[in-house]
Amino acid sequence: MKISNNEKVIGYFGFPSRRILGEARKRYGERLELVDLDVAVGAPDSGLLNTTTCRIIANVIDNAVYLSGRLAAVVADVGESKCDRGRHAAFLLREMGFEVMESRFPRDEFENRDLIYSTGRGPLPDRINAIMDTVVDPTDPGREAVTSCEPTHGFWGVPPNDFRILEVFPETTHIFGWTRCVEAGRPGDLEMECYVEEGLPTVFFAQSFCAKQDLAHHLAGRNNGLYVDCHRSVNHSILSKVEAFIKLS
Amino acid sequence: MLLADCGSTWTKIYDTENDTLRIIQTSEMVECNNCHFAIATGHSARSRCNLFRNELLALASGARAMVDSSSFTVVDVGGRDIKLISIENGRIGKIDWNLACGSTTGATIELLGRYYGIDFSEMEPSDEWINVTCGVFGMEKVLEFVSTGGLPSEGLARFIHGLVRNVHNFAGRPRRLYLSGGFCENSCFVGTMEKYCEVIPLGRAVLVEGLKAVQDE
Repeated sequence: MKISNNEKVIGYFGFPSRRILGEARKRYGERLELVDLDVAVGAPDSGLLNTTTCRIIANVIDNAVYLSGRLAAVVADVGESKCDRGRHAAFLLREMGFEVMESRFPRDEFENRDLIYSTGRGPLPDRINAIMDTVVDPTDPGREAVTSCEPTHGFWGVPPNDFRILEVFPETTHIFGWTRCVEAGRPGDLEMECYVEEGLPTVFFAQSFCAKQDLAHHLAGRNNGLYVDCHRSVNHSILSKVEAFIKLS
Repeated sequence: MLLADCGSTWTKIYDTENDTLRIIQTSEMVECNNCHFAIATGHSARSRCNLFRNELLALASGARAMVDSSSFTVVDVGGRDIKLISIENGRIGKIDWNLACGSTTGATIELLGRYYGIDFSEMEPSDEWINVTCGVFGMEKVLEFVSTGGLPSEGLARFIHGLVRNVHNFAGRPRRLYLSGGFCENSCFVGTMEKYCEVIPLGRAVLVEGLKAVQDE
């Protein structure tokens, strides 16, 4: 979440439809900065949610409460591209008095953008950040933005709450799952979300207490990959587990 | 030269000079200012050794050195977590490591054993089991069992049975399972696991064996 000054901002979470994001800007101000409420930026714990809530949803609520009066509105992804907890978070925010615009990303708005960052070479955290930036700024970065490469490993999942887990992956790691769907502009495409390259050693990551744990666990079994879930911060064991998988596979 | 597997609850120290293995509580080890090792693995080892080895890598090397088969599955059931290595035709087939949710079960068994004053060597396997989602949830079930009239030893045996089921499922339900870690010495755990598959205990020094392989590299 990057906030450059003290003016009003529009918060969003998940991958709202670009059409709804555009409408929010028209309604609340074309110049207002769009900030991703999913991201951990050190907002104080609001204490409003159960402790066994997925950390990303907790970030949404904590960030919204932290920003409070500065939030002109929240554009909430409440469709298949997010989760029921996202839908409930939108409900809670509205009950708290926030302006909430709900978004469902319909199939007829699916795009077919080039997977430049997902299939490129480079530090995994940087490429995932670049993909998430395309939610707000879908300008085509061009094939030259990142060198494409043959993958040695795969990362499947959502952007984690704690990016340190991404730092142990080699630069030749390709990106799959929901993050890949975001780059393609197809956030609720389950078929694409479940795709991984056959035989590629892949880590299937999900936040603890997220419904995607079921999918990650199933896909890891089906593809002989490594299932990893993590609540809040990564610890030594989680990093060691991923390191060992990368070394041994 | 000292090699050490510094687990969450127990530290296994092997002295290459006199070929001896010493096992001490990790709480004792972390308070020892002079405890420094040539090669080590485990949660508490990183700042206490010249060369650190990842736990799963140590388990893989140790099991390969100890098991005379090109295809096998080994699990290390520790105080805090469960590690899995499956070798298929000499190559790594599957690795895994359960953490956080679903873990801390070994330490919970020790805690409950001390709390109820149970002698594990006299504890019989139970045919019944309780759902051990994790150490804390499992503990709650044992406390509930005892508070409603059950014997603590039976409650703990059911906890162990629940843990055994978790381990067996986690390992992919093999017909033969090589077991590493302190539970090799727990007859109730081994006896319960034998309800599900053939069990071959490898003892508590499998990761130390893996460190010996590092020494030879």
